[in-house]
Amino acid sequence: MRHSQLTDDLQERASLYAAGALPESERMEYARHIDEDQCVVCRNEVDELQAVMAFVASDVPPASPSPSVKIRLLEQARGASPVRPRPSFLRQRWLELITSAAAVAALVVLGAAVRANNELQHLADVLASRISQLEVEVSQQRTYIATVTAPDVRIVNLAGLGTNVGARGRIFWDQANRRWVFTVRNLQPLPANLVYQLWYVPKGGKPVSAAVFTTNADGSYDTDLQLREGLADLGTAAVTPEPGPSGLDQPTGQFALLGAAE
Amino acid sequence: MAEDKRAEKEDRDLVQRMASKDAMALDVFYERYNRVAFGFVMRIVGNRSDAEDVLVDVFWQVWQQAPRYDSSRGKPIAWLFTIARTRAIDCLRSTNRQHSKTDDFEEERPPAPPPSEPDPFVTAGTRNAVREALQTLSEQQRIPLEMAYFEGMSHTEIASALGQPLGTVKDRIRTGMLHLRKRLKAYL
Repeated sequence: MRHSQLTDDLQERASLYAAGALPESERMEYARHIDEDQCVVCRNEVDELQAVMAFVASDVPPASPSPSVKIRLLEQARGASPVRPRPSFLRQRWLELITSAAAVAALVVLGAAVRANNELQHLADVLASRISQLEVEVSQQRTYIATVTAPDVRIVNLAGLGTNVGARGRIFWDQANRRWVFTVRNLQPLPANLVYQLWYVPKGGKPVSAAVFTTNADGSYDTDLQLREGLADLGTAAVTPEPGPSGLDQPTGQFALLGAAE
Repeated sequence: MAEDKRAEKEDRDLVQRMASKDAMALDVFYERYNRVAFGFVMRIVGNRSDAEDVLVDVFWQVWQQAPRYDSSRGKPIAWLFTIARTRAIDCLRSTNRQHSKTDDFEEERPPAPPPSEPDPFVTAGTRNAVREALQTLSEQQRIPLEMAYFEGMSHTEIASALGQPLGTVKDRIRTGMLHLRKRLKAYL
């Protein structure tokens, strides 16, 4: 049921939801109400109160995680290592169980059962993570196919220049949905402090950054990206090396790839 | 305020790039917010090892759900903290379940981390406004609000723990949040 106006009762429920104070069953029901009933009155109230609580969260003193966290995350995102380590409390419990099992024969049996359970848990973690990774890949492949086969797709070929004369690039441009599928081959590797940056250059306008990327070891890179609204008609597309990790607002490097929209 | 707007716009661009599976955008977004998010997660789960596991999950969820991020529903940083709280409370409850299954598990929650350098992506103006708003909250409002938000306790659990009527607890959480919203309106 959608509500037409915010009452004290609805405001109280939104407050309790945003603060995380609703019991689980009520929380799920309320989340369902917001999402499935599409109640704009409650949704707006919750969104604003969650923003308030985000301010409260931001007041907690920051702390630095170990560098391994970032490595794990980026490896996971790049599909190199989807395995998640098990939570530390399990490791701790496991050691304690082994100690106890040495003293009491009955606990040996229990320990074996726990071991099997942990192995299964580990396997489940690996599989769950792998499934997540595959879901991302499938979603990406679907986007590629949808873009490449779009009825109004335009193709922009990019030629290698300078030291990248052997490189080639191609953009499949789904104009209706403002999506690009961008592929490159044989780009030269860059020093660690540089990244490649893809530019959308409107006719008679300043270049607009479309993506920042580093290539695979063989000089290849494939991605899809969403162009922002309101860009003037495309004149050319280009790739230049720029300072990492996030590139620049305007190109400063020599052209690595360049192609004109036909 | 202009700094906040610029940071918000950059955040939205990063989320859009993550939606296009630009791993560099994830890298930049992580660099921006890993410290505030980690401090927040640590505040909830109470130990570094679990907090680091949660932090990976949080940014992994951001990466996966970036295509579904709805900019009309708030700033990316609010979205990030909502995800972070959900994952941290899940971890806290999972850990508490492990506690209840064993009677010899020692509490390993460390003392609160020492104050550290503020994060540059939460601007000084916003930080001061939040601090002032929290300082003007009454104890009766602040305590149940923190028990809910940081400890994951439901209103009935809070009422029981504080020995107060359920209606009183609900009302204090509501009025506390409305007070904060009024004080922080300009930053929303």
